Order: sequence, then structure tokens, then C-alpha cells
Amino acid sequence: MLQIKIHGRGGQGAQMAAQVLATAFFREGKYVQAFASYGGARRGTAVSSYIRIDNRPIRLRCDIENPDAVLIFDASLIDEKMLKGINKDTSLLINSTKEAKDLKECSGFKVYTIDGINIASRNGLGRIVNSVLLGALAGLLDAPDFKNMQNVIEEMSPVKVPENISSFRDGYELAKKFKGVA
Amino acid sequence: MIKESKAMLLTGNHAVSYGAMLARPNVLPIYPITPQTPIAEKLTELQLNGELEAETITPESEHSAMAACITASLTGVRVFTATASQGLFLMHEMLHYASGARAPIVMANVNRTIGSPWGFWPDQTDSLAQRDTGWIQYYSESAQESLDTVLQAYRTAEQVLLPAMVIHEAFYVSHSLEVVDVPSRTLVDSYLPPFDPELYLDPSINRSWGNVVNQEMFWRHRKALGEAMDQALDVAAKADTEWKELTGRGYELLEAYRCEDAEVLIVTMGSMCGTAREAVDMMRDQGTAAGLLKVRLFRPFPVDMLQNLLKGVPRVMVMDRNFSPGLGGILHQEVKAAVCGMEKAPAVHGFLTGVGGLNVSPALIASLVKRTKLKQADINSIWVGEEDGE
Repeated sequence: MLQIKIHGRGGQGAQMAAQVLATAFFREGKYVQAFASYGGARRGTAVSSYIRIDNRPIRLRCDIENPDAVLIFDASLIDEKMLKGINKDTSLLINSTKEAKDLKECSGFKVYTIDGINIASRNGLGRIVNSVLLGALAGLLDAPDFKNMQNVIEEMSPVKVPENISSFRDGYELAKKFKGVA
Repeated sequence: MIKESKAMLLTGNHAVSYGAMLARPNVLPIYPITPQTPIAEKLTELQLNGELEAETITPESEHSAMAACITASLTGVRVFTATASQGLFLMHEMLHYASGARAPIVMANVNRTIGSPWGFWPDQTDSLAQRDTGWIQYYSESAQESLDTVLQAYRTAEQVLLPAMVIHEAFYVSHSLEVVDVPSRTLVDSYLPPFDPELYLDPSINRSWGNVVNQEMFWRHRKALGEAMDQALDVAAKADTEWKELTGRGYELLEAYRCEDAEVLIVTMGSMCGTAREAVDMMRDQGTAAGLLKVRLFRPFPVDMLQNLLKGVPRVMVMDRNFSPGLGGILHQEVKAAVCGMEKAPAVHGFLTGVGGLNVSPALIASLVKRTKLKQADINSIWVGEEDGE
């Protein structure tokens, strides 16, 4: 079973990102389970999404404690609680202008950073980073398939479809470059 | 088995909406409340797309929504509604009225913490606090089961003329997106015939109907309600068997998962059952004979069936994601009462796990099983926090 956690703030699209991933894996014939937990249902508050992917129906109904990958929309959200259960094999993909080695709170872990806002704004999406980050995550995990993900993003983007696709592609290509670097 | 279905990626709530749509309800009185609202939203979307022909009523409160459900149902049409938490509480008076009026309404309830303090978390206290209202109660573990149970609930409710609740928890089921087999209309139509009661109110006859009764009539009426509840056990079991014949999916009223020769049987309801299955597999692999007894039908409570399944079991460990202040876990109380008088009744341990939506992991469950094996059962339910298992 592949287990992924996504941390963001309400309004950043962390929940939508989980739905996009779930849809893409579902189309590859996988069983998926994606759910979110949020406190105030307001913009700005912390939102966590959880995704499980497996070849058989998923029975667990609890939080993901030992994720294979964690996607973090905002480095200011990182705290001790978030990092609990993460081990040296967990990939942490963080939206940040900093380099991985400069994120002291994550030292000792497999960390990849991506300047999502820069890529998103260059592609005409302003500060909306979810397509960039989804691209980077798919590149890092080698799953779901690039073309499949691109189709799903195309279908699920509510507005600015070409911008979301190009952001996704840039994120994916960047991840392909930093793969194996850590 | 008829293989007519379509795999879709749906949340637990949307699966309920598809189940309700397939039941072809005629009237949908509904009031929004988090985390139920996606059920109502999807139903109105399906209606807009022409997939559902029903009259949607949006009254000013849940109390009025239930009042509308009762009156619509008594005219002999199929009715569906959904609510959660405070909304269910606002309906409370009308819930008793619905069962007393023998209106076979089906309602989905999404378990959410009760105020105060305010929260949105999974906790079964809201629906368990309605256990004496005369509603049939099903607790579901997954989106698929919720869809299937809506249809089974109509079958059961309409045969015994009692209302039924289909209950699943916030987030872990309601907002969890998963793969769901949505059966075809043909299949569902062959399973669930149109609602055609012998007696109904005809609004075209311009008369009022009073229902004031004397003591003896009231006594008789309550007794008949109880008999209908008793009948519901067989009817619900048959509804499940027939659904399984059609779809391959059956859930039973009480499901025994790997209970053979169990040293400890975990008894619980709803989403924790899924996690408990993983915990049981893990423990069995490590040589601990644990099993899961899932309570799917909570009202009527299948006491005879439970006693049979607990024969020869030395220890039972009840996990309650709910809390009745002053007595403890509600399922714990019910199980203790059910085993009372059994020859060699099992020791019944009770844990308040996941109250307020606290995370319950397989490791936590395994540690509680270990504790149950080692310690004597406490008469009270024991509070368990997220870290207590380690």
C-alpha cells in the first residue's frame, strides 16, 4: 500500500490535490481512499488530506501515521506533530523558496523543495500551487502516469486549464531533475 | 448474480445519494448541515440532471424537515432525508412521532460530535442518543456499504412499517473518496419494488384524522411497534441475503470476522471495524487469536444472535466512539446487558476509543487486546487517548 499525506491551508487546494491523485490512481485500476480533515472549514486554517493506494480494497479507517510521501504546501506548517511517524524512507516534498538543506526542522529526512509559487505565477496561476506540486509529486513517485495525470488535471481544473497543465508539466520535469539527488 | 454495475469514485456521502436515487424516492425534505450537506447537494444535482424525479422540500429547520417526511410518507410515497448531529437533535421529537405513525422513512445520519463544544469530528453519540426513538439503526463502515444499506433499509423499513437510519461517521466514511460499485437501475428495481402500503392518507379526501387514544389503545400501539421491531430482525437478514444474491455483497446484521477460537473478541460499530480487521489480521499473524464482531444493526439489537456468537468466547472488548456521561460507552452497556444470564458469559471490557474523532490505529487496538487478555474487566468503560496504547 502507498500512503501519502498532504498538508496545506484551507483554500490552497490540498483537498483538491488529493482528489486529483485519487482519480488518477483509480483510472490506473487501483483501489484508493482519500479523505481530509479540517478544523474550521475556513480559508487559512490547516488542512490535511490522506490518500491510500492499493491493489485490494482498503479497510483502514484511521490517520496515516507512517506515510511514504508527504506533500507540504506551506513550509510554515511544519512542526513536530507533522513529522511524527516520518522515517528516512519517507519523501518530503515541500513548497518553499529555500533549499532542502536550509530547512533545519527537516534535517535527517529525505527532503525535496520546489519553488511552487514562482512556477505557478510564471504559468499565470498566481499563488495557486497545487498543479505544480502534483506534477512534482508524480515525477518523484513515478506514479500516477504522466499522461493520465495530465488528463485528470485537464478535466478537473475549474478554470485556467492550459495554465494548470503547463504548471503540472513544469513541476513534473523539475522533479525528474532532482530525483536521486538527496 | 446479476453483474450490472459501474465502478465510480465516490465519497461515502455521495454513495448515499446514489443509493437514495436508485431507491426512487418521491419526496426529499432536507435541511443542510455539515458534514451531511454533500448528500443533499448530490441529490439535487442528480435531480437537475434528470436522473432523479422527486419533490425536494427545503423547510426552515430539521424539525420541519422531519415533519414533512412523516406527512409525505403517510400519503404512501417513498421519502428520503439526511442529517447530522445537532440537526438530528432538533428532529428528536419528530423521530418518535415518525415511528409511532409507522412511517417507513429512510434517513442517513452522518455521525458528528455534539455541541458544546463545537466540532466536526466523527463521534456516534448523536445517533446513539436516538436509540429509544423506535427507528431501525444501521451503522456502516464504508461508502459501498452505505450505498447498499440505503437500499436494504428501504426493504426492511417498508415491510415492517418502521423508519430506518443509515449511519456513517464524519470524514472517515462521509468524506472519504473511494471506489464504489454503483448498481444499475434494473438491478435495484428488481430488488426494491415500489412502496405500496395497504393504508395511506389520501389528500384528495378532504377530512382530518385525529389520533388521540386511550390508555389501552396506546399500550396496544406501543406493543405492536415492539413486535414490528422484533420482525425487523428477520426481514433485515433476508434483505441482506437477497442483496448478496444479486450483487455478491452481503454484510449480515452482526458480522463475525475471524472469530474462530478467539481469546478476545473486539465488538464495535462503524468505521473502527475496518481498522479492527487490519488489527485482527496483524494479531493473528503474530499468534494472538483475536476476532472482530461487527455490530451493523444496532436497533433492533440482535441479542439472540449476539449470545450465539459469544458462546465459548472468554473475553469481549467493546470499543465505543461515543460517550453517555454517567454510564460510559453505549455499546459497552448494551453488550453487558445482552450477555447477562448467559451460561459462562464472557468478561466484557469496555474502552472509550476515538471519542471526539480521536484517531484509532491498528496498533492501539492491538494494545487494548493485549490489555484485555492480561487484566480483569472493569465494570466501567475506560477512557483511551491516542497515546494510551503504547
